[in-house]
Amino acid sequence: MVTGQGVVTPLGTGVDKFWAGMKRSACGIREVQSFDTNDLYITIAGEVPDFNPRERLQSKQLLLADKYSQYAGCAAQEAVAQSKLELPLEGDEGYRAACIIGSGVGGLTTLEFSYKMLFKENKRATHPLTLLKSIGSSASAHVSIEYGIKGPTFGVVSACSTATHSIGLVYRMIREGLIDMGIGGAAEASLNWGATRAWQAMRVLSPDGLWPFSKNRNGTVLAEGAGILVLEEYERAKARGAPILAELRGYGMTADAADMVNPSIDGASTAMQQALDDAELAPSDIDYVNAHGTATAVNDVNETRAIKHVFGSAANKLSISSTKSMHGHCLGAGGGIEAVAAIKAIEENYVPPTVGLDEPDPECDLDYTPNVGKERKINYAMSNSFAFGGLNAVLVFGPPPA
Amino acid sequence: MDEVATKIIEILRKNMKDPSKTVTLETPLSDLEIESLDLAVIVFDIEDTFGIEIPYNANEEVEAFATVGSVVDRVKGIISESKASGAAA
Repeated sequence: MVTGQGVVTPLGTGVDKFWAGMKRSACGIREVQSFDTNDLYITIAGEVPDFNPRERLQSKQLLLADKYSQYAGCAAQEAVAQSKLELPLEGDEGYRAACIIGSGVGGLTTLEFSYKMLFKENKRATHPLTLLKSIGSSASAHVSIEYGIKGPTFGVVSACSTATHSIGLVYRMIREGLIDMGIGGAAEASLNWGATRAWQAMRVLSPDGLWPFSKNRNGTVLAEGAGILVLEEYERAKARGAPILAELRGYGMTADAADMVNPSIDGASTAMQQALDDAELAPSDIDYVNAHGTATAVNDVNETRAIKHVFGSAANKLSISSTKSMHGHCLGAGGGIEAVAAIKAIEENYVPPTVGLDEPDPECDLDYTPNVGKERKINYAMSNSFAFGGLNAVLVFGPPPA
Repeated sequence: MDEVATKIIEILRKNMKDPSKTVTLETPLSDLEIESLDLAVIVFDIEDTFGIEIPYNANEEVEAFATVGSVVDRVKGIISESKASGAAA
């Protein structure tokens, strides 16, 4: 059961701001503010506009951490507050909880800064916290320390599927009886000059905007943030009178084992099918799909074909959207933020839109909820994450048990 | 074949599965089994070799990358443009 959720996004910090932004079709992509875009031809990104660590975080350790850990700490704080858990966990309870918070690249901005100091400024030493700030497990460690979580605690790495894999893993651990509850998700804060240069060199970024499924799409737009859920075993959640937001019903994961950048229909559709089977649902039970929808030429056509392959004639009755059109491609954190979008969609019976979709690609011919969201009864929602390397992860959420 | 063309074919060969294949100016890039990611690497290598910048987005069809000869022409065009702007500055 999902008993808490928290986000940090380019549409704002906190689920309320995030959801309100999507309901008014807002877009968090703008000219980069946080670093100098000199010599770059990509000058836009989805930066978090309203994050003040001193306002958001109480722990001194987190205040000294990399921004990616701070985003994780902030989203986790929102999620646990909503769950009404009594924290920190005491005694053996701590060992029955997990904290799996991944990141695509961890504290990359800390590393970039330290290399700049060493190689360019010829400093003789790096800041003593450089290592702890940059490691990809620091977000999970910080959050475990905050809440007394002493069970399985580590980061997961699978590029743009990271958060989805992390959440799925916590879910499976609960189902297997290893733990009673856990915090799962991911955080990313890799927007900096060097990383933008590296992405720019791959030639997959759009200099203009992220327009999924559109005929005019010309690439994705980098973004940052965090998306974190609190998952809990049903009886435990019920016994303590926890607010149950949704049920995580199914999880599927596959690898294409084919190509680093060109996705396969087979890998994506098998992951979706596995998630449906795991949830014991038929394709026609799904009302809403939060698509991976990166607005690259290859992803959107491949994803459309994979959805058709899995859903058959039910594909035409689906409401689909890529909320990346509003919050950008939050990389490792994307699946966590998008899981929250799927849960809110169920909670409010509202499909968030795909903005910037005036003229669909003829090869993308499903209902992507263009430009404005719409009310629709949503029982079950699917959230897709398909990462570089062909790493696929899919979650299926449903309403809280009656 | 001039120096620019020779260097470009050398760069292409490095990224071909079978570098022993015959490559002429008329050869379409699709015949060289070059995919989108290879093309990004090739463009990087060309930029580095000639000290130029080539606008290229993997999400768009680029006519200038149809054949080996069209790549050579495009690179020559950019080299002479950058020389001209350098002279003006």
